[in-house]
Amino acid sequence: MTATIESLSQMEVRRGTLAPAPPREIAVRVRDLIKVYRDGTEANRGISLEVRRGEVVAIVGPNGAGKTTFLRQLTTELRPTAGSVSVFGVDAVAEPERAKRAMGITPQEAGVFERLTVREHFELFARLKHLSKREAREAAREVIEELGLSAETNKNVGALSGGQRRRILIGLALLGRPPLLVLDEPTTGLDPSSRRAVWSVIRRAVAVGATVILSTHYMEEAERLSDRIGVIAAGRLIAFGTLDELLVRLDRSYRLSYRDPIDPSSDLKIRYCASFAQAQQHIARELLSEYSIARASLEDVYFNLTGEPFDKDEAEAIG
Amino acid sequence: MTRVTDIICVFRIQFAGTRREVGPFLLAAFVFPAAMYLFANAVAGVEVAPEQSRLRFLAGSIVFSLSLTSISWLGYLLLENRFTGRLKLFATLPLAPSSYVFGVLVFAIAQAAVSVTTLLVVGRALGVQMRPNFPLLIVVILLTILCLCGLGVVVAARARSFSQGSLLTDTLGAGLIFLAPVYYAPEVMPRALRVFAQLLPTTFAARAVQTTLAGGHAIGNELLALSVIAVATLALGFKLMKWRED
Repeated sequence: MTATIESLSQMEVRRGTLAPAPPREIAVRVRDLIKVYRDGTEANRGISLEVRRGEVVAIVGPNGAGKTTFLRQLTTELRPTAGSVSVFGVDAVAEPERAKRAMGITPQEAGVFERLTVREHFELFARLKHLSKREAREAAREVIEELGLSAETNKNVGALSGGQRRRILIGLALLGRPPLLVLDEPTTGLDPSSRRAVWSVIRRAVAVGATVILSTHYMEEAERLSDRIGVIAAGRLIAFGTLDELLVRLDRSYRLSYRDPIDPSSDLKIRYCASFAQAQQHIARELLSEYSIARASLEDVYFNLTGEPFDKDEAEAIG
Repeated sequence: MTRVTDIICVFRIQFAGTRREVGPFLLAAFVFPAAMYLFANAVAGVEVAPEQSRLRFLAGSIVFSLSLTSISWLGYLLLENRFTGRLKLFATLPLAPSSYVFGVLVFAIAQAAVSVTTLLVVGRALGVQMRPNFPLLIVVILLTILCLCGLGVVVAARARSFSQGSLLTDTLGAGLIFLAPVYYAPEVMPRALRVFAQLLPTTFAARAVQTTLAGGHAIGNELLALSVIAVATLALGFKLMKWRED
């Protein structure tokens, strides 16, 4: 990838619509974001956060916690009840179209145009992102290559697998190298190899300067991809920080997994310990023979904060 | 310029989506209105139908084809985009909702152009005596499409489900043809319905198309009415078609 990513201001400077300004450190600033739906559901209850340029932020949380509502407000798809969202200094609530010029968005549930070929899909949507014909062709070629869809270039999108269609949606977000990518569960439903391919694509985008905000159900994805992780539960951002910062919040940061020696066929049991020594003491006291000790992970933080285990089936699918 | 490019791209996306269905489309665009023309002739007495009636039937069939393309098919397309998540893709772009609507509208106009041309050729082949005032006919057809598309957009934007929306667009499309004096004279309608029917866009459209097919040009009132309805329905359609939910 040779292209570099421009900020919205840089793009506007290039187009002559904005005076040059010093680079901003904050890519996205969200203040006291509240969303109350018409039926009275409080989906977001005063979320505030700042995302720095070039950062990858993962938003995790149980189903129905308000992650998608949060991202939909960020991408201007949903009008906040109160609060503000600023994208590279542009008020996304007041100027949604201008804010969207800086964003590449993959919605959680979006449909593709099945009768378009892969190339047409990318080229036409690149044109709708206001790239010239030549730029659109080039952008489509790059994205197709990057997503490993070269063999499918001239196939109708309707003939592709679910995973390949999901990759197309991610590719549409990448077109034009927007400085901010907002990806709502980008790898949900993908097989492990496709998921890793998407991770590579995201990493490459970040390497050339993109800021990424993504939501995910996969703890491994959040751990591996993100610089900082936000945990949303019941509409509130209950934790936000690096993995290390979140782990510090755990009083007991060692996880002891073991089988009950009296009933070895029972499910694996988990106990959190303040130290490695404490875990060893427990093993000796209970005469455990089948056990493992590990440093706590994001999964443990998540469980500790939300009181809910993450989806085991999905986690196992990562392999 | 950007706006024009946006509209063209939306049109191309919709057009590419139907290119493999050109055959069925042409068949549908032709068969329904042409069959209605023949049916109306048959009911009136095929051989004895006076020339004026045959012209009315042809004008009615043209308006019928416009209703099909502008309400039923356009509505179906908009509903499909909305309820299959494709609209979300457009919503992620720095694209004005009105550009999307205009793009789809251009697609509807292209469909209608094919349909109307086919009907005119068939009418001529079946011996309908006409001296079309083409410039005026084109204006009438464009205004009619705008009126009916506006209604299609309103229904598609407000429908709660795909099935509800398609039922509404089909009912509206058929209702506007058969509850208006399109294929028959207003005098044969029940009095209460007659008053209501006089206000329907298809009534003005049928009268204007028939006049222009006969070579006339005294359609000022019809053009004015169609313009007012087009502005009203499109304004409402644009207001309802938005990317951002409240």
